[in-house]
Amino acid sequence: MKKGLARVAIWLAVGAALLLVFAAYLNPEMAFTLANQLWNCF
Amino acid sequence: MTRTAAAPAPLSMKQVLLCGAMIVTLSMGIRHGFGLWLQPITMDRGWTRETFAFALAVQNLAWGVAGPFAGALADRFGAFKVLIVGSLLYAGGLVLMAVSTSGLAFTGSAGLLLGMAQSGTTYAVVYGVIGRNVAPEKRSWAMGVAAAAGSFGQFLMVPTENWLIGHLGWQQALFVLGCIALAIIPLAAGLKEPKFIVNPLQQSLGAALREAFAYPSFLLLMAGYFVCGFQVVFIGVHMPSYLKDHGLSQDVATGALALIGLFNVIGTYTAGALGQRLPKRYILSTIYALRSVAIVIFLSVPLSPTSVYVFASVMGVLWLSTVPPTNAIVAQVFGVRYLSMLGGFVFLSHQVGSFLGVWLGGKLYDSTGSYDVVWWIAVGLGVFAALVNLPVRESAIVRAAPQPA
Repeated sequence: MKKGLARVAIWLAVGAALLLVFAAYLNPEMAFTLANQLWNCF
Repeated sequence: MTRTAAAPAPLSMKQVLLCGAMIVTLSMGIRHGFGLWLQPITMDRGWTRETFAFALAVQNLAWGVAGPFAGALADRFGAFKVLIVGSLLYAGGLVLMAVSTSGLAFTGSAGLLLGMAQSGTTYAVVYGVIGRNVAPEKRSWAMGVAAAAGSFGQFLMVPTENWLIGHLGWQQALFVLGCIALAIIPLAAGLKEPKFIVNPLQQSLGAALREAFAYPSFLLLMAGYFVCGFQVVFIGVHMPSYLKDHGLSQDVATGALALIGLFNVIGTYTAGALGQRLPKRYILSTIYALRSVAIVIFLSVPLSPTSVYVFASVMGVLWLSTVPPTNAIVAQVFGVRYLSMLGGFVFLSHQVGSFLGVWLGGKLYDSTGSYDVVWWIAVGLGVFAALVNLPVRESAIVRAAPQPA
C-alpha cells in the first residue's frame, strides 16, 4: 500500500516537473528569445 | 587494478540511479542551451556566426572521438575518477569560454575542452556503472531512467540558461554554469565502486575491441546509431529553417522545440522500460521505422502549425529512445567489463552521423535550394536502420574458457 502510494507520488512529481518546464517554454519572453535565437541561426 | 564482471554488485540500485541520473541531467542539460549564447557572444566579441558554429561542431566531434578513450579509462580506473576529471574540464571549459577573446581560444575551450568534458560525464561512463551494479533483469529500465534524466536535463536547461543570460549577462551565466558543472563531483562519489578482485584470466581491452568489431551485431548497432545521429541532429538544427522557408512563424518553431523536449523524456523512459519485456532489436527497428513513417507523413500533408506540433510530438517520443536499448544490447552481448568503452565507440558512430546530418543538410540546401533531398535521405536511412537492427543478436557472446599460462 505504502509502496503504491510512493510510486503514485513519484509519478505525480515527475508529471508536475515536466508541466512546469513546458510552461516555461510558453512564457512569452522565453518564447520570443528562443524564437529569435532559432531564427538568427539561419 | 582490473575489474571483473563476475564481482558482486557493490552499489545499491537506488544510489546508482539517483546519482547517475542527476549527473546526466547536468552534463546533457548544460550543453543543450549553448545556442542561446550565439547572439550575445558574437555581438560582444565581434565574431561571425561561423566562428561560434565551428566551435560547436568541434565540440560534437571531440565528444564523439574522446568517448571511447573516456570509456576505456572508466572501465580501467573507475567511473568516479573519469567523472571528476570530466567535471573539472566542464567547469574549466565554461570559464575559458566566457573569457576567450579570440576564435582559436573559443574553439579550444567551447569546442575541444567541453567536448572532452562531455565524453567523461555523459551516458557511456554512467552506463558502465549502471551495467555493473544493476541486475540484468532491470538494466534496460535503469538505462531508460538515466536517459530520461538526460532528456529532462536538456528540456530543463534551455529556459534556465535563457533566464541566467537575461538576468546575469552571458559571461556571468557561463560562470554560474561552471559552478553547476562542479556539482558532478559530489554526485560522482555515489558512483564510486569498490576495487574488484584481480583476475589475470580476464579478457584484455584489445581483445574486447577485436571481439566487438569482428561481431556483426556490434557493427549493425553502430550503423543504426549513425542513422539516429543523422536524423536527430538534421531535424534539430535545420527544422527551424525549413519552417521559416515555408512561411511559418517563429512561435511554431519554439513550440515544436518544447514538444520535442517534453515527449523525449517520455520516449526514452518508455523505450528503456519496454526493453525489459520485448526484444530490444525489435524496439530499435520499430523506432527507426516509425521515424521514417513520421517524416513521410509530415512531408505529405499540408504544412501547418498543427502538423508541425504533431510531428514534433511523435519525433520527441522517438528522439533519444534509441539510447537505452542500444546500450542495453551492448551490455547483454559483451558483458559489462568494457561497457563504457564499447558504448563510447557506438556513440562515436552517432556523432559522425550527427556531423553529417548538419553538414549535408546545409550543403544540399545550398546546392538544391530546398531540404527535400535531405528529408528523403533521412527517410531512406531510417528504413535502412530499421532493417539492419532486425538481425542483431542479443544473446551473450560465447567465449572460449581462458587457460592459465
